[in-house]
Amino acid sequence: MKWVVLTMLLLPFATAVVTLWAGHRSEVATKFLAVSGSLATFGLACVVAFPQLGHADPLVVTYTRTDSISPAIGLAANVDQLSAVMVLLAASVSFLVQLYSVGYLHDDPRYPSYAALVSLFSGSMLTVVVADDLWMLLVGWELMGACSYFLIAHHWELAEARAGAVKAFLMTRLADLGLLFAILLIGERTGSYRISQVTTILSNWDTSLPALLIVIAVIGKSAQFPLHSWLPDAMPGPTPISALIHAATMVAAGVFLVARMYPIFDADALTLLGVVAAITMLVSAFYALVTNDLKRVLAWSTVSQLAYMFGALAVGAWSAAVLHLLAHGAFKALLFLGAGSVVHAVGGRTSMTAMGGLRERIPDTFVTMTVGFGALAGVIPLVGFFSKDAIVHAGFDEAKHHEILDQPVAWVIFGAMVLTAALTVAYSMRAWLRVFFGPVDPDVEVHESPLTMRVPLYLLTAATVFGGLVFADPSRILGERAEEDLFHGSTAILMTALVAAVAGLVVFLWVRYDGADPWPPPVEELQPPEDHIYDLVLVRPIGALARAVVINDRDVVDAYADGAGASARGLGWVLRLAQNGSVQAYLMVVVVGAAAIAVAAGVLS
Amino acid sequence: MPLWWPLLLASVLFAIGVYGVLARRNAILVLMGVELMLNAVNINLVAFDAYFRDVLHSGQTLALFIIVIAAAEIGLALAIVLMVFRTHGHIDVDDLRELADRDAV
Repeated sequence: MKWVVLTMLLLPFATAVVTLWAGHRSEVATKFLAVSGSLATFGLACVVAFPQLGHADPLVVTYTRTDSISPAIGLAANVDQLSAVMVLLAASVSFLVQLYSVGYLHDDPRYPSYAALVSLFSGSMLTVVVADDLWMLLVGWELMGACSYFLIAHHWELAEARAGAVKAFLMTRLADLGLLFAILLIGERTGSYRISQVTTILSNWDTSLPALLIVIAVIGKSAQFPLHSWLPDAMPGPTPISALIHAATMVAAGVFLVARMYPIFDADALTLLGVVAAITMLVSAFYALVTNDLKRVLAWSTVSQLAYMFGALAVGAWSAAVLHLLAHGAFKALLFLGAGSVVHAVGGRTSMTAMGGLRERIPDTFVTMTVGFGALAGVIPLVGFFSKDAIVHAGFDEAKHHEILDQPVAWVIFGAMVLTAALTVAYSMRAWLRVFFGPVDPDVEVHESPLTMRVPLYLLTAATVFGGLVFADPSRILGERAEEDLFHGSTAILMTALVAAVAGLVVFLWVRYDGADPWPPPVEELQPPEDHIYDLVLVRPIGALARAVVINDRDVVDAYADGAGASARGLGWVLRLAQNGSVQAYLMVVVVGAAAIAVAAGVLS
Repeated sequence: MPLWWPLLLASVLFAIGVYGVLARRNAILVLMGVELMLNAVNINLVAFDAYFRDVLHSGQTLALFIIVIAAAEIGLALAIVLMVFRTHGHIDVDDLRELADRDAV
């Protein structure tokens, strides 16, 4: 088993290299290699993960470690229940994305590099979730940042794609510093970089500062307030990539890291996490409500749902958060792949004004995306309903009993959760109605997607519909870390009533405005005001500083160097005047000089 | 004969030689200036030899050396002048400035 884990980690990287090598030599071979490589990874992931689910002991192995430095850095894996489910999620979504991309990018000239980067991306995510050594985790963590940069900039001829990629890279890198310092601090304080050791020797060391630093790291990685605006701007990337980033890798890694290091989080770190999550889930839900671009709506909803998970972690509902992460992985991958199918159908446009009435023209996509939107909104009996329910109930419990957080903070988080649940229903309904109902634009030529794109949709739909069964007995998956019962009838009834009420309101508005946008946003495409603040506070001063440095370099530093050169040149010009080639002139100097010395000697003596 | 007579003659000859070397444009006349300076020195040597009544006559011996060296020197110098005339068509030292430091063309 030990070597199966290592093979599973290395296979995606090998696939990436081989895919790149095959490249443009043979299109069929490249596609075959990319898909079969990720399928093999998925197979290995199943072999690794299934024995670890439920009441199993974590598989902790050390392959090699440095003996020369202390604390030792090692190549070590730790597959517990959390790792196992994350391995399954990452490998399965990566495989589906690879399969889907064969159809979605069938005539893209940059397909080989794209497929290689997707493999690399999934390999990095697997490294993160399996790693037991914090430095190994950091390697995967940073590799994911680089991969997302490259993939967001896949259409690098578009200015917005380049800008989005740079923004994503800068914001996540900024926050990654938090993780780096956290790792250094943990090593300093515990004498170990092994997660399995660090999380079990709690009584001996002060965990508060490392935990706060990890919160900072996940704020960047998972696009939480105030670094939340990179995720919607990453939308110019290909749609399958959005599915990969939002469902299984990258942003999910932030939630995973908090879940993994959960024992070291104390009340301070959890309060910060909870407050950030409460702000993020509300703000991004409001953005999703007034955004016109279908993919950006989904992106904002991801930010909001990630905040939901962080909120759950903050109120102590560890297993509810992890299960919501899994559920979200399934239905958000479904939604994004469905959105890709819609975009593909209407010829590459992503604005919802270009869509409408697609219900009968792309029926497969309609059914699957309806399930996805339903799960996002929390419609019974889809998987999103159960996981959201468990979180809201845990939030209410914490607000009532305040075992971890201060009571006002817990109430704020709970209030944000309920309000966000209502807003989620509203924006899901709006997007669903505007895409699939309403007036049909007869000029738009619509065609259903190829089979390679529809099969992943069916599979994810199945996962979304039947995923709720997990909540019957969560300990079958998460073992003893699962809370007793995650389903609560009272919360379920209240939440269903909330969903129904909001959905009814949206439908009422929709009918009343005759199939137009129920609440047309005041501006065409809303740019978050935070971006203006960052622009004003950070980007412009730094730009001005950079220009000042350029001026200083050019006009001050260079002036000294240029001056030294010019003065040497001038002196040389004066001296070369003497070298005029006339021997008699030279001799004249000698004679006159000798005479002058003689006279001087005579006068002075 | 007082000592200053030959010394005066030598000084005058040397001055004429210096003038010839510095001021004449014809290379042959420049060489003649050099010869004048050498011989002015010779006169000095012989004059001091006689004045000090040197038993070993080292002044006269040195004068003989200088005469020999001057003969060799003038032979070499005339050969150079001849070569210069063949390559340049003239022996005007003012126009022989190939060794001046100029910008490369």
